[in-house]
Amino acid sequence: MMIFRRFESAIDQGIGRRKLGYLVLVLVVLFFLWFPNDASQSNYTKTVFISGFFYAIMSSSWALLAGIAGQFSFGHMAFMGIGAYAAGLIARDGITFAMLGLSIGPETISAFGAIIIGTIAAGAVGLVIGWLLLRLRAAYLALFTIAFSELFRIMMLTEYDYTGGSNGLSLRPLLQIEDVDAARQVEYYLMFGLLIVCLFALYRVANSPIGLFLRAMREDEDAASALGVNVVRYKILVFVFTSMIVGFAGAIFYSDVGSERIIPEQLEILQMSLIIAYAVIGGMESLIGAAAGAFISRYLLEAMRQVVITLPFGMTTYDGSDAFVWEPGYWRFALFGVVMVFTLRYMRNGLLYPIITWFSERDIAMKETVSRRESDDDHAARIEADDE
Amino acid sequence: MITPRELRRTMSDLHLELNNVSKRFGGLQAVDHVSFTVTEPELIGMIGPNGAGKTTLTNLMSGMLKPSSGTIYLNGRRIDGHPPYDVTRAGLGRTFQITRALGRMTVMENMMVPGLAHNPRGGRADLEARAHEILDLLTIDHLTNELSRALSGGQRKLLELGRLLMLDPAVIILDEPFAGVHPRLQDTITNYINRVYENGKAIMFISHNMGAVFELSQRLIVLHHGAVIADGAPQAVRNDPAVIDAYLGHDEDD
Repeated sequence: MMIFRRFESAIDQGIGRRKLGYLVLVLVVLFFLWFPNDASQSNYTKTVFISGFFYAIMSSSWALLAGIAGQFSFGHMAFMGIGAYAAGLIARDGITFAMLGLSIGPETISAFGAIIIGTIAAGAVGLVIGWLLLRLRAAYLALFTIAFSELFRIMMLTEYDYTGGSNGLSLRPLLQIEDVDAARQVEYYLMFGLLIVCLFALYRVANSPIGLFLRAMREDEDAASALGVNVVRYKILVFVFTSMIVGFAGAIFYSDVGSERIIPEQLEILQMSLIIAYAVIGGMESLIGAAAGAFISRYLLEAMRQVVITLPFGMTTYDGSDAFVWEPGYWRFALFGVVMVFTLRYMRNGLLYPIITWFSERDIAMKETVSRRESDDDHAARIEADDE
Repeated sequence: MITPRELRRTMSDLHLELNNVSKRFGGLQAVDHVSFTVTEPELIGMIGPNGAGKTTLTNLMSGMLKPSSGTIYLNGRRIDGHPPYDVTRAGLGRTFQITRALGRMTVMENMMVPGLAHNPRGGRADLEARAHEILDLLTIDHLTNELSRALSGGQRKLLELGRLLMLDPAVIILDEPFAGVHPRLQDTITNYINRVYENGKAIMFISHNMGAVFELSQRLIVLHHGAVIADGAPQAVRNDPAVIDAYLGHDEDD
């Protein structure tokens, strides 16, 4: 603890925590940029990273929706699915506007064009859902979005003539690269770039006046409204914005970038719960926290498929090996559950919150207020008076 | 504290008019054909026994509720049935009976929400400077970076009053500003009310604290069973037989 204090004051007097934070962030980004060039890394690890990036987008955008705007939605995966399914269906079948007599054949739509249409579809449904949710709060909102999410999943499952049912739907591949290694490399950078772009967009919104209004709405919709915040507009806006982000990410991820097909199983409540769990563990009020929580959780869940424990003191197992191989299987999800229970009970702001607060210097501001308050006799008297 | 804009605000651009405003909840006539106008900066006390419709009337004026019938105009704009944010922007601000601080936001953020909502193009620095001035007047400037949920009940009341000033409203309605506050804090609030009034705003306050109401108000509106039973100078209202009946009369016991 002493060493940490000394380190802390050295940083405060030196480059400052905020700058150090940016430096750490830059180093992390550089690590991820370098990573696929490490020849010793397998394509499998890269795939794990690619899906880690995807889930980081899912969790951080959910953090904006639920953690910052207070809309505890279970529909996030469904919006992602709408983006992916719409892109897939349009790339395969084209669109026909019967009333206008207009028909666009699938051959005229590029893979990226389909992704854009999928994104718009997700945003449009987000608009409708956001509007329907205007009067619903907290538990009712959660229940509504669960129903919506299940409705969409069952539709995709049932209409198998169009959607492929439980076999899923293949989207038109976004990239056409023959060489597997090269393809994985490009996919990795594409998904990482997308994560950076999404995080930047989310961050810009969260730190703008809109972000302030969203937080005011989370705290108390009526009070926010009485203070001049157009709650209706911002509630719909946040649904449309986050739906479009996950619709876009989903359409890209399932266009053979991270996965070759979208399956309804992906839209189950369990999957949605995992998104929430990642965000909660990382810190649902922090976009970076939620993204890091998702990435780290994905990585650990994958790494724990097989854990090799090297025995100390020259001990051996009964067959003479010095290492013990543990395959936790589904137990790793149980372990994950324990982490989540711990987080909710003891660190409700997420396991990464203390680190993020430390870098953001928010705790310095807090300490200053506390010391100023203590030096203020008048305040002390007033507190006493209030307590009476 | 006094900005040029506030100084320029003349008496003529203050006009609040309620015409036969009624609100019915099922079989209950909560507000019954209430009419009154406010055309100049005034300190208006609104009193009435529990259930007289004071808070409902406030909710009707601030857009939280839609009147069943009747109209409300503010500075020539019809505001009844408009959403609260719109009414607020038109120039009518309110506090709540039970304080509604935005708990997990700092005091400064609480001030910036109305500041930026009302004045989206106002620079953050200017708004923050203004917020500091207001917080200073309210004696809570040292709590700027504190989360508002860490504030005491009285401080939250002050914060609510401060947030209102960021909106620069023409009419301010304070729902029970003195409820449950220490005398010392009451002085701060009274001081606030006077300062805001001097800046040319009409302030309407609902209160059960008769002493404060009679001391502070220049005009008194008395509600009973949702209807206005008296509207005038405090002394005249105090001796009004209908008011005495409503407060001391037998129908309280029914």
